[in-house]
Order: sequence, then C-alpha cells, then structure tokens
Amino acid sequence: MIRLRSINRIFEVGEQTVHALDDVSLTINAGEYLSIMGPSGSGKSTLLNMLGLLDRPDSGQYKLDDIETSALNDDALAAIRRNKIGFIFQAFHLIARLSAAENVELPLMLAGQQSKLRRHRVLETLSALDLSDRANHQPAQLSGGQRQRVAIARAIAMRPQVLLADEPTGNLDRQSGNDVIDVLEALNRDGLTLLVVTHDPDIGGRAKRRIRMVDGRIESDTALVAKHARA
Amino acid sequence: MRARDLTVFALHAVGRQRLRSSLLIVAVAIGITAVMSLTALGEGARRYVIDEFSSLGTNLLIVLPGRNETTGGAPPLLGETPRDLTLDDALALTRTRLVSRIAPVNVGSAAVSVGSRERDSLVLGTTHSFTDIRQLRLSTGRFLPDVDMRRATPVCVIGSNLRDELFGASTALGNWLRIADRRFRVIGVIETSGQSLTVDLDNVVIIPVASAQRLFNTNSLLRILVEVPQVATLDKAKHTIIRIIRDRHDGEDDITIIAQDALLSTFDKLFLVLTLGVGGIAAISLAVAGILIMNVTLVSVSQRKYEIGLLKALGASRNTIRTIFVVEAILITLAGILLGLVLGVAIVQTAAIGFPQFPLATPSWAALASIGTALATGTIFAFIPAGRAARMDPVQALGGH
Ligand SMILES: Nc1ncnc2c1ncn2[C@@H]1O[C@H](COP(=O)(O)OP(=O)(O)O)[C@@H](O)[C@H]1O
Ligand SMILES: [Mg+2]
Repeated sequence: MIRLRSINRIFEVGEQTVHALDDVSLTINAGEYLSIMGPSGSGKSTLLNMLGLLDRPDSGQYKLDDIETSALNDDALAAIRRNKIGFIFQAFHLIARLSAAENVELPLMLAGQQSKLRRHRVLETLSALDLSDRANHQPAQLSGGQRQRVAIARAIAMRPQVLLADEPTGNLDRQSGNDVIDVLEALNRDGLTLLVVTHDPDIGGRAKRRIRMVDGRIESDTALVAKHARA
Repeated sequence: MRARDLTVFALHAVGRQRLRSSLLIVAVAIGITAVMSLTALGEGARRYVIDEFSSLGTNLLIVLPGRNETTGGAPPLLGETPRDLTLDDALALTRTRLVSRIAPVNVGSAAVSVGSRERDSLVLGTTHSFTDIRQLRLSTGRFLPDVDMRRATPVCVIGSNLRDELFGASTALGNWLRIADRRFRVIGVIETSGQSLTVDLDNVVIIPVASAQRLFNTNSLLRILVEVPQVATLDKAKHTIIRIIRDRHDGEDDITIIAQDALLSTFDKLFLVLTLGVGGIAAISLAVAGILIMNVTLVSVSQRKYEIGLLKALGASRNTIRTIFVVEAILITLAGILLGLVLGVAIVQTAAIGFPQFPLATPSWAALASIGTALATGTIFAFIPAGRAARMDPVQALGGH
C-alpha cells in the first residue's frame, strides 16, 4: 500500500525553478498494475524515483505500508529499497564485468545472505525468466531483451512487493519490448505491485490503471475516472 | 555485505581496470622497494662499521687503577692515592665465569740493545692472552708462552721496526737482546701493522708481565684488559669486576672500567639515525603512492557512477559503498606491498652478491614500517574518494539530470 500526499519536488537550475512534482497525491494498492505516461519532462521519472525512495520530496508525505518514510535516514531508506522495492531501468544498468547470475546475485549479496541460499535463489529466479542457459554469460554476450530480463531477475531476486520500471522497453525493439512487458505482467499476476513508465501508448494501454502526467501534475488517473463514473 | 563477498567483488573491479590497477601497484611497490633498499644500505654501513669495531673487541673491558666518575677519561693523577692494581688482582678476575680471559699490562721505557746497537724503546709487560685480546699477528716465531703470569721468563717478542734496527740483516729469532741490564731471548716478531691502537706495535718489546715488574721494580699494573664471553653480559661483568676488586681493596671502589663498546654504541646510534633518515625519505614515495591511489580512485568513482547508483538502488548503504572502494584500494596496496617486497629482496640480494664485503640487509623494522605506512596511506587516502562515492545522489548517479 502506497500513499503519497501533496508531494512537491522542486529543482533549481540556475535562475530557473522546475516544479518536477507539483502537489502530487496518489494511492496505490498492493498488487495494482499502473502505467504512467506523459510528455518528456512531465515528472514521470521523478515520481518513480520518489516512490522508490531514491529521492526525497521537498514537502508532502509518503507512507509505504504504514511507514512514514520522510522521517527515515538514508540507511533506513536503503534497507526498505533492499527488501521491498525492485527497480528496472531503461538502460538495464547491468554490471558489465559480472555474469548474468552474478548480476542477479548482487542484491542478495548486499543483503548479506549466505552464498548457498543465494545460489539457489539465483538459479530459481533465472529459470523463472527462462534465462537458465544464460547464467554464465556476460551482459555483452546477451541481446537487449535478454539483458532486460536479467535486470528483471535482479529486481525480483529479493522478492520485493513493488516493481518500478522506468521506460523498460525504451531501448528494445517491439518484439522484445512486448516480451519484457509480458514478463512484468506475469509477475504482477503473481501479486507484485507494478508501475511502468512508458512513452508507448500500446504498452501504457495494457495497464488496468493509467496515469497521465503533465507539468509535474497528475492530469488524469483512470481509477479516479472510474470512481467518478460510478458516482 | 559479507567480508568474503566484498573481497571478491573488489577483486573483480580491480582486475577489470588492469592498467590503472597495475600502475597503482607499481607505485606502491616502488615505495616499498625504495625503503627496503635504502635502509639496507644504511643498515649495511652500520653493520660494516660495527664489524670493524668488533674485531677490535667489543667484548673488551679495560680496568684502570684509580677512581673516575666519567668513564673513558684518564684516572686522576693527583688527589687520592689509589691502591695499585696487582697481579693478584688480575688473577682474582680470572676466577669469575663472566670473564673469559684477561691480560695484565705494564708499560715502561728502557734501553734495548743488541751488541752495540741500542734503542730507547717502549717495553710492554703482559701475558699470552694479549695476542688474542688485541689480535696481534706475528710474522715469525711465537708469542709469550701460556704459563703462570707470575713467572718471569726471559723471553720477548719485538716489533718489526725494532727488529730491523737492532738485528739488521741477521736473524732475530732465538737470539738474545738486552733490556736495561737483563737478557731476553727473542721468540717472535710482530707483523707490521701500519696502524697502531694505543701503542706503536712496530717499535715495542713485549715481555712477560712478571719480568716487566722486576725490570721496573714495581708490583703495580698499568691496566688489566678483560675479555667477556658475550657482549650481553658486559655490564654484569663490569659490576662483578668492581665487586671483586672492592673485596680485595678493603671495600674501596678504586678502579675505573672503560668499555670498548661506548664508542661503538655512539656509532650504532649514528647509523640508526642515518638509516631512519633515508628510510623516512623513501617512505615519502609511499605517501606519493597514497595520493596517487586517491586520485585514481576519484577517477574510478566518477567513471563507475552508474554502478554506484545501481548499488544504491539495490539497497546498498553508504557504508557498504564506502567499504567497497576502500577494500579495492587495500587490495591494490597489498598487491603493491607484495611486489615491493619481492623486488626489494631481489635488489638487496643481488647487491649483496655484488658487494660481499658489505653486509647489506633490510632491517626488519624498516620492512614492517614500510608495510604499515603503505597500508595506512593507501587506506586513508582511499577514504576521500570512497566517501564521495558513498554520498553520491543515486538518481544523478544513475544518469538523471
Ligand atoms: N536533478 C535534477 N536537476 C534539475 N532538474 C531536474 C532534475 N531531475 C529532474 N529535473 C527536471 O524535472 C522535470 C521532470 O523530469 P523527469 O521526472 O525526469 O521527467 P520525465 O521522466 O517525465 O521525462 C524536468 O523538467 C527535468 O528537467
Ligand atoms: Mg524520465
């Protein structure tokens, strides 16, 4: 359960101030599937980083599972990221010198898990994403779609509650992009809360709940529309 | 993050940046090698000098009659009249196990003649042990016989110059010479030494100490040379000698003991300071290596900002990030230390083969200190870039604006 209330994020660039998030309030229930769309610079990434606790609001409240996060220090936020949140990036951000399996193992290692447990979990996760035969490949030896699947495996290795994907198909061709979305949707069906930021209307349209952002504000939210329609 | 995982992760990263890592490893190695070889030089010089001195007898004590508070000075000539040192005092000193051998010494001047040739010469009365203690070498014959020191045998050993002047072309060995009105048979000639310690050995006549006492009509000794079995027990021997003489001299401390090692320890300290100095200068190169590690790690941090951002997104704490970079620096430093030690030993060993007379060896304290300095500088300097990595904003690191 995610609850944002009146979140503001303001960047100062030289003389200019950019209101990247302008009084954003948003409630997301566990297991929901959201897409966030909107023009470039409308604050989608900033919102996602805020939800992922990589960034802090200048004002407003963010409650994650009844934890008021604005009161927490950096290490406490890191611990929440470690245990509850999985990130997927447009640029994959795999570590080039590590094999696919080692990349997937990284969050488990950072969490201080024993290597025996880790190995088991890594193999399990790779096989769930159909990557078992790529375990020992370096990222450079993988296709874009495979790389993003390795990144997804890494994101879910710790069994988080929330998956945050920022333009996960942005660097992929349509076919592998669709494959990646299929994988993410399958994970959502298993109970993960899924947020996908995207430019692609086809992909954005697949989500049950669709949010559109403009100038740091939520311009539309299909959940609210539905509520209005019911009213 | 577990220590083992940290190490493996850091090793991966270090191994990935081969050129950069090898550069740093070489920088640290140069520092270690410099410390090792320069201190080996200083230590070699120290050992060389000490060895030279030791051949003169570091385990030697000189017992003089008369009390003197300041060691090394001459006994007082005026004032109190000290009891003489006698042959019996000398004999008493041989009874402690802290003393390996002694040589009583008496010196006077007398006319020495062979036929019509006559010289005024230094006459030194002593015993058989004198050769060993002073390490005299004879060109022919033997030294004074190893008999009871109270026996006055009419034999002598003469300096090479005196031999030439008294005997000319004829043989000296087995022939007689006259000291004042007494006859002595020449049983040995001292090898030309060129350098003399306290007496001009080229012009001396050495006779048994008992004979010298009769010759000069005295019971006293000029000094007693005492050799102790180990330098370590020198002080103990000193006190024992003082006690033995005190017992014999009605409870009075009326002797002075000079230790040969006083001068030596001064040299020892001098060379230690010298070695410390060059070692310190060499250690500066380790500090330079530390600064190099800092700068290269700074570059590495900015080049690996995606990785840092990613690690943060995956939940790495600041401390974990900092530790990763510090461990990388430590691994590089350790590799540099290892290489430096190998190079240092190789250089010192090679030089030691080239200059066998010069006892080159890196003192272990210098090797340990260089390792400590390298580790300390490597680690401390790595904290600055590692701290920068730890404080990085994850969004910006991941390629945000
Ligand atoms: N760290 C930053 N410094 C300055 N401006 C920023 C920063 N991050 C985002 N912005 C600005 O905030 C606005 C929203 O950015 P972003 O959330 O990345 O947009 P989107 O992901 O929708 O394209 C943009 O105008 C961007 O220039
Ligand atoms: Mg964006």
